[in-house]
Amino acid sequence: MALRVWALYFKYAVGNISSNRLIHVISTGTIAISLVLFGAFVLFFVNMNSWVLQWGQTLTMSVYLKDGIDEKAKQRIEATLGGLPGAEISSFVSKEKALLDLKATLGPQGRFLDGLNENPLPASFEVVFKNVSRGSLNSEKIKEDLEKQEGVDEVQYSEQWLERFEGFVYMLRLIGLIIGGLLCIAVLFIITNTIRLTIYSRRDEIEIYKLVGATDWFVKAPFLIEGAIQGIIGSLAALGVLFLMYFLLSLKTVQVFGLPLMQMVFLPKGHTLFILSLGLVLGLMGSFIAIGRFFRFFYD
Amino acid sequence: MIQLFHVSKNFGGNVALKDINLRIRRGDFVFISGPSGAGKTTLLRLMFGAEQPTEGQILVDGINLNRISRLKLDLLRRRIGFVFQDFKLLNRKTVFQNVALASEVIGERHTITKKKAHQILRAVGLSTKEQAYPLQLSGGEQQRVAIARSMINNPLILYADEPTGNLDPDITREIMFLFRTINLRGTTVVIATHSRDLLENTEQRIVALNQGMIIQ
Repeated sequence: MALRVWALYFKYAVGNISSNRLIHVISTGTIAISLVLFGAFVLFFVNMNSWVLQWGQTLTMSVYLKDGIDEKAKQRIEATLGGLPGAEISSFVSKEKALLDLKATLGPQGRFLDGLNENPLPASFEVVFKNVSRGSLNSEKIKEDLEKQEGVDEVQYSEQWLERFEGFVYMLRLIGLIIGGLLCIAVLFIITNTIRLTIYSRRDEIEIYKLVGATDWFVKAPFLIEGAIQGIIGSLAALGVLFLMYFLLSLKTVQVFGLPLMQMVFLPKGHTLFILSLGLVLGLMGSFIAIGRFFRFFYD
Repeated sequence: MIQLFHVSKNFGGNVALKDINLRIRRGDFVFISGPSGAGKTTLLRLMFGAEQPTEGQILVDGINLNRISRLKLDLLRRRIGFVFQDFKLLNRKTVFQNVALASEVIGERHTITKKKAHQILRAVGLSTKEQAYPLQLSGGEQQRVAIARSMINNPLILYADEPTGNLDPDITREIMFLFRTINLRGTTVVIATHSRDLLENTEQRIVALNQGMIIQ
């Protein structure tokens, strides 16, 4: 019985969509566009998070040396670094090598460095902490101790940057949530009104249904199914567009100041399902509000 | 079957019906007559539950319409047919779909709905027009579709509001013949009309209204 009735509701809903194609294309398109905007934010955050995670897995440290440092002081620094838990000196970058690396990175623009009378770049030890969790290292204390040592000019560690960046990502996430919430409200408003248009255009039809003894639910159910179909098609279209965006962006490695920044990732399964469900819920809620308002008007 | 006790209906300050007392028995064929504005349509709408009386009580098949819930009213309407002067057909649906609609609404199986719709359309002489759309039919044919739709669930009562108002005399006779046949099957038929032609030489009961009151 229930299955037969739902099949009938579904038949009515599909019939209604095909006879009011334009208005349904408009509301489905609205859902799709809004979810693309929302999904683009989500895609951005997912990639930011993945970058932060990748970056945070290994702690690296650059220990910059003062100019004119003698060999003994250099050896003492090397010994201190070797004694730090999990630390491994990955390389020693001399002043000359630092300049050459910078030239190589800048490419054709690197020529202006040839005009320098003096090499301004310091020599450095590049240190990597292996098999040490981020939480167990007091990087700030290590930095302070090292900077007190003779011959050390400055110490920079990746966490410093990461902490600032994490704060930035958190702020962006908050902005994204607010914009996403506002977008959802706007979509709900648009869907409610477009579905309301289709309901009002079929007022006579609903009157006839009620005359022959249709219950309110019998009239409401096809509209709710229409909303759900619009929501699902809209979210699928949005995911398609997002995938295309991801595909086109991942063809190029994103670079900042000539440095490869990150490998793009697409939305994980959970996020994809969330966008699909969001489309479905928005479509259903829009229909529910619209048909509820219509019935209040109808019975008045 | 239908009982009205001291029923009055006002719209704002206008009195549409005043102190109506009426009893229609099961299987009766009743005309409600009167000039335009006499209150015929309001009376039918009250007996159908589309309006609530300002005063008085209405019982239909033992159910008090003053205290009925929306759901129970929907269920009661499945046992009542209604035919309008303007047919009230869905122009985007075929003749067959229009008639089948009333059966689908009550949750009837598709095979039974199909069978019932074929039978009733044959009975009203429209079996060759099942796949036509209402606007492709003449006025008389459209009214026969509306009658078929109202009859598909074998209703206890059939209300008709000026059912021949838009039709020529020959078609009117055909439609009235259909109503009589329906009545002979046991359905109570109540027809509101201002047409003198319909009322002349009729042996059926006539309830005459004027300015919202029963005068005969």
